[in-house]
Amino acid sequence: MDLLVDSLTSAILLLISLDEELISIVGVSLKVSGFSTLSAAIVGIPLGFAVAYSRFFGKRFVITCLNTLLALPTVVIGLVVYSFISRQGIFGPLELLYTQKAIIIGQFILIIPLVTTLTIAAISKIDRRYRRTALTLGANRYQVAWVILKEARFGITAAVIAAFGRVIAEVGISMMLGGNAKGFTRTMTTAMALEYDKGEFVLAVALGIILMSIAFSLNLLFHFFQGRGEYDAL
Amino acid sequence: MTLYELNNVKCIHGSQAILDINRLNIEAGTIYSLIGPNGAGKTTLLQILAFLDVDYQGVLTFCSRPVDNNSKQLLDLRRRVVLVDQYPLLFTGTVWKNIEFGLKVRKVSAEERKERIERVLEQVGMTAFIQADARTLSGGETKRIALARALVLNPEVLLCDEPTANVDKENQEIILNILAQMVKEKKKTIIFSTHSLSQMQKLAEKTIQLEAGCLKSSC
Repeated sequence: MDLLVDSLTSAILLLISLDEELISIVGVSLKVSGFSTLSAAIVGIPLGFAVAYSRFFGKRFVITCLNTLLALPTVVIGLVVYSFISRQGIFGPLELLYTQKAIIIGQFILIIPLVTTLTIAAISKIDRRYRRTALTLGANRYQVAWVILKEARFGITAAVIAAFGRVIAEVGISMMLGGNAKGFTRTMTTAMALEYDKGEFVLAVALGIILMSIAFSLNLLFHFFQGRGEYDAL
Repeated sequence: MTLYELNNVKCIHGSQAILDINRLNIEAGTIYSLIGPNGAGKTTLLQILAFLDVDYQGVLTFCSRPVDNNSKQLLDLRRRVVLVDQYPLLFTGTVWKNIEFGLKVRKVSAEERKERIERVLEQVGMTAFIQADARTLSGGETKRIALARALVLNPEVLLCDEPTANVDKENQEIILNILAQMVKEKKKTIIFSTHSLSQMQKLAEKTIQLEAGCLKSSC
């Protein structure tokens, strides 16, 4: 108990003093997670819209596959991406291994099914009469798509927030593809794992507090958007 | 002048034919009532006439030209005909934004949009609601705004699916007066489905009667 209280006190002092190493780690985490979430949103939202709104053979199968990919362990993604970007891999010459780009690629693969399936869920909840209404008012197919995306915007925003929450808290991909290089690929979770290994809990606890604060803020945002969506559906 | 011609139009959902019309002509500038019991195919017929349901067999002509179900032609046709649903949906946003939508997609100038929206809101007696959140309106008010959203586009054909269903007497009166005024002022083609014989007698010049998806009479 004393260990936890001491670590917590020291961690708070570290946070107040805006420790340089701490700031660097948080910065790297936010940067890679931000980029991977943005890329997943750019690809996943249109993909989710296309799957939700079109009729094609094997649609249920595609949705089942996407749902299955939600359970993909980070270490599996780490291994697969590693095999492609390591020196022996086909993308070896690009020298991506142990860079922030490698973490972004891995995290992108991790959350693309999440963004896509949550977008499908958000779009599927939208009353299909919106499409007919937009059509009868003279909208073309792009304007119809815009109307539907607009009506589903709270659900889609919640999908993006959930994806960011997933990547900021993951450790497997960052560790395997980033290599935990200080000031370069060291994220909050990999730094916490390292500090734990060293038996030094102060920085780990400080990072834990920041991570939990981010998670709490994201949950608040998530519930806010979910609530707005439900209110609008009334 | 014949506006619509339907020849052997058949709409099948699953194994059941929900609409099966051998021949039906609809004249321009005439107001039609569309009657029949629930499940007679009234809504399906209105959706076909609005070029929204394209999943049918047979030949539909509009202004003497066969309707080709390619998207370019459908878009042009849909911009000449508007359907007001039985349970209309308003988009998220203000009443203004809802009425503006159809004008915006037609690239009507901002100045003209403003003028037309104000005029149509006055016509349906909803001027006070111009900046109201569309989701906060009552059922009757929603129907009036949906009608305004259609009228502002000045369509050649106005299709209304049970325009006075599920609204109170006051709103019914208002909606009927708007339709009656339209009939009086402009020679538009209006087709409205109804279960009310008094509405049919009061407004319609001609009546299309459907039963079990088939045309029972057209006079």
